[in-house]
Amino acid sequence: MNFLQFLSRIGTLARWEVKRAFGVMGKGMLPMAVVLFVLLVAATGFAAERGLHLQDGIYRLGVDDRVVGEIFSGDERFSITTGDGRDLFRERAAYDIIIIGGQVYVQDTERGRSALKSLQRDYQQYLDSLYSLQQDLFAAYPLWIDLQEVKSELDFSATQSGMQISVAPSSTAPPVPERPVVEIPVPEPGVAFSTEELRQGLIESSVPQSQLARYSDLVGPESPFGSFKTPSQLSPPLPFDSIILVFLFIFPLYFMSQFSMMSIMQERLERKGEVLLSTPAGAPAIIVGKALPYFIGMLAISAGIALWLSAPLIILLPLLPVILFFLANALIIGMVARSFKELSFISIFFSTVATSYLFFPSIFANVHVISLVSPLTLIVLSLQGETYTISQYFFSTSLFFLTSAVLFYVGMANFREERLFSQAGIFCRVREFISTSLSSRHPWASLFIVNALVVPFVFMVQMLLLVLFFNLPMPLSLVLLIISAALVEEIAKSVGICTFLLDTPSRWSWVMVGIGSAVTAAAFLFAEKLLLLITLTQVTESVFGSILFLSSGVLVFPFLLHFTGVLCVAGLVRHWGAKGYIPGIMIATLVHCLYNGYFILGWLS
Amino acid sequence: MKARNVALVMKKDLRGLGRERTIVLAILLQLFVALFSSFLMVGLTSMYDPSSLARFSGVKYPVAYVGEPSDLDELLKKSGQFRVYPMDLSTAVAALGERKLSAVIHVPPTQKDADDPVKITLYSIQNDIQSTIVNVKLKDVFLDYEEELRRVRSERLDLIPVPLEFPESRSGPGFYEFIYGLLIPLLLFMPAVISAALIIDLITEEYQHHTLETLLSTPMTMAEVVWGKITACILIVPLQAGSWLLLLTLNRIPIAHIPQILAQVLSFSLVLVLIGALTALYYRERTAAQFIFSTAVVVLMLIVLAFPHNPLNLIALLATGSPVPKQWSILGGTLILCGLLGILTQLYSEKVSTRAPGE
Repeated sequence: MNFLQFLSRIGTLARWEVKRAFGVMGKGMLPMAVVLFVLLVAATGFAAERGLHLQDGIYRLGVDDRVVGEIFSGDERFSITTGDGRDLFRERAAYDIIIIGGQVYVQDTERGRSALKSLQRDYQQYLDSLYSLQQDLFAAYPLWIDLQEVKSELDFSATQSGMQISVAPSSTAPPVPERPVVEIPVPEPGVAFSTEELRQGLIESSVPQSQLARYSDLVGPESPFGSFKTPSQLSPPLPFDSIILVFLFIFPLYFMSQFSMMSIMQERLERKGEVLLSTPAGAPAIIVGKALPYFIGMLAISAGIALWLSAPLIILLPLLPVILFFLANALIIGMVARSFKELSFISIFFSTVATSYLFFPSIFANVHVISLVSPLTLIVLSLQGETYTISQYFFSTSLFFLTSAVLFYVGMANFREERLFSQAGIFCRVREFISTSLSSRHPWASLFIVNALVVPFVFMVQMLLLVLFFNLPMPLSLVLLIISAALVEEIAKSVGICTFLLDTPSRWSWVMVGIGSAVTAAAFLFAEKLLLLITLTQVTESVFGSILFLSSGVLVFPFLLHFTGVLCVAGLVRHWGAKGYIPGIMIATLVHCLYNGYFILGWLS
Repeated sequence: MKARNVALVMKKDLRGLGRERTIVLAILLQLFVALFSSFLMVGLTSMYDPSSLARFSGVKYPVAYVGEPSDLDELLKKSGQFRVYPMDLSTAVAALGERKLSAVIHVPPTQKDADDPVKITLYSIQNDIQSTIVNVKLKDVFLDYEEELRRVRSERLDLIPVPLEFPESRSGPGFYEFIYGLLIPLLLFMPAVISAALIIDLITEEYQHHTLETLLSTPMTMAEVVWGKITACILIVPLQAGSWLLLLTLNRIPIAHIPQILAQVLSFSLVLVLIGALTALYYRERTAAQFIFSTAVVVLMLIVLAFPHNPLNLIALLATGSPVPKQWSILGGTLILCGLLGILTQLYSEKVSTRAPGE
């Protein structure tokens, strides 16, 4: 089959898929969808207008002065009672906060403290709104900060690799720079904006903060004057608007991938796909052909949204790997699920995990480079009008590209009758999928390849863990990261060899188990190093990176570590069968943790 | 309609769920969401209040003070967070670039009571988590200084704010609002969404697998089949919601009014499940039904949340232990809606054909 023939088959299948999809939609769905879309836009506007009333009346506030009550009446979280000061004091148990004669009294409970925090923030907002209307603006805002950012000459991760921002050991003398000093012009004392410009900006930025910002003090309101801020604007801004916009891009992708998932599932209903399999098209053409319309559709929708927002079309670049990743997962989920309910559960699970991976890092887009783990951060940056480098693009997208490619390959290898129409349980099916991808004639080669291909997934999970634990206090985050990273690696390494052992236990002698473990360890190490070299140098420099990808020059120790881990699991599985798997993983994880702990602790001290 | 037949269908579907064990994924998912979001919040708080991290307490950040002497110098030293070095600008910025300092502060010669504002230039390290912490700490000092400057210039203010005296703030972890106002209502909403998605799957599956005809060749009626499925979906709601509440209680997050909360959850789950059932009976095909239903739910959610005293708001209030006088009337309203939808479902399922569309 030549390439042109292959392309024309893909074209035919894609056209057929489009026809089928519209056939499903035609039956009264399209008009309904249009109606719902209009309703959705209207409802969004309505909700944005009225605000979301989720926490109304969660705190009870008693005031003895109506004027004070009015300050807080805009915040629905407070249910406000105005009454006589003495009555309020007598019934103080019924309130979280009472304000008598300008003095604030708070219940010493968790709710009271939380209410006080909100009250203080509201009061600050009230002050700000009043100050920005003053005749003499600079009496109300006497202090302005011009924040100049200096590029560090050490790489950003220096602080995490155990170094404090500066270790000034008990010195009373100021630090002396080692490199030549560049002359810096002394800043002008004047303000570069007119008073009215400043007033306008202050009024704009004092609108009630987004609901997300309620939960964190770290992110604050954004200054409309770039680097020029009042002291309360000094916290890094939350890219709230950009995140909402990013959600606008991702939301349609979910639906499209649902359609694609369902289209794969349809083929498996009552063996409808048998017809397709009996044509000379072949699995790769079928899969590409079925995915192509959705791929184009997703790109077109994204481009449409970008044009509508008048954003640069370059933001489609970071979306590309996300689209591929969604389609690859849709393929696998559609092939694995046994029933509609299972499809629903797995796809809800997948989309929540994927959303967390994609969205949470981008909240930190203005805070830390770790946020680049998610390609969405690149979109946030583009929307903010900042640029990113090619290496940053590779850093945040390569894992998505690699895992999508592997998933597509697994899908193609398994796209045949006995897999598609089997009704085995999900874990069993995943094992079947892997075992199809393994060749029993070339066990060593396939073990090597499987373990090399599993590495991008391990990295992805570990990146998720890194983002998750990065925010925790230091010792706890290290311990959790050591344990979970070890667990993930051991499970990943055991996949290939245990599939062999459970499929054909008789063929695997103890010597073969030993060789298999060695091959697995070597493959894992090889792929790990290769991937690190290409992409992850940024994170691996940090102390977190060193746990995930502990390497430190010598290759012998990591090899032995991987080897021992696999051998523990494989040995127990060989001896006890499937029952030995969980104890094996536990032992291997323990060994892994001890090794990592020893090296990290030794290295830190 | 015979209760026995309804129970039979219900048991069949529950057994199917139990056999696939994928419902575990739903529970895992809730666990994951809670874990992830609370970790994030703990993280954000600990970054804001670095003294909660043992590692950072007692660390004095070195900062350079450049320019005219002022009260700011005194405030910086008094805060106990910084080691202040008087330096000249170029050397200080160079040292900052090599991370020997954590910030450089340049103060201009502007007088305290001048007409112009005091413009301080702050040099900090770009894109660095620790300099974020330093900036947040510096912000407190700057706010104090701003307060002092305002006091000096206070006679020039023409709008005088209402003064309030706040007690010494006891810094507590700020999760209260997050847990009660966001996490609990959303987590309790999840079982409803899951059950509604489930009813669509259960009904469309019978059509698309052509098992409905077999089912109806027994003495069962279509309405009995539908109600059996609805019962199965509703039964797993308190199971999921209850296990959640239990987990939270074990996690030392006290939850008040649990029975009332479960009543609210059940009532709005029933609304969603009935809407789901109607959608599924109309389209008889999963892709279309799920798509229309999920968009409709988003629209419905947005509209409901835009009104105060919505069920999710009630759950937040109930969980905190506040008295909620309106809860019974809201519950009544939801139940009346359920009744109407129920009658509609009954009538429609009696009438609906057993054929999947297009056959």
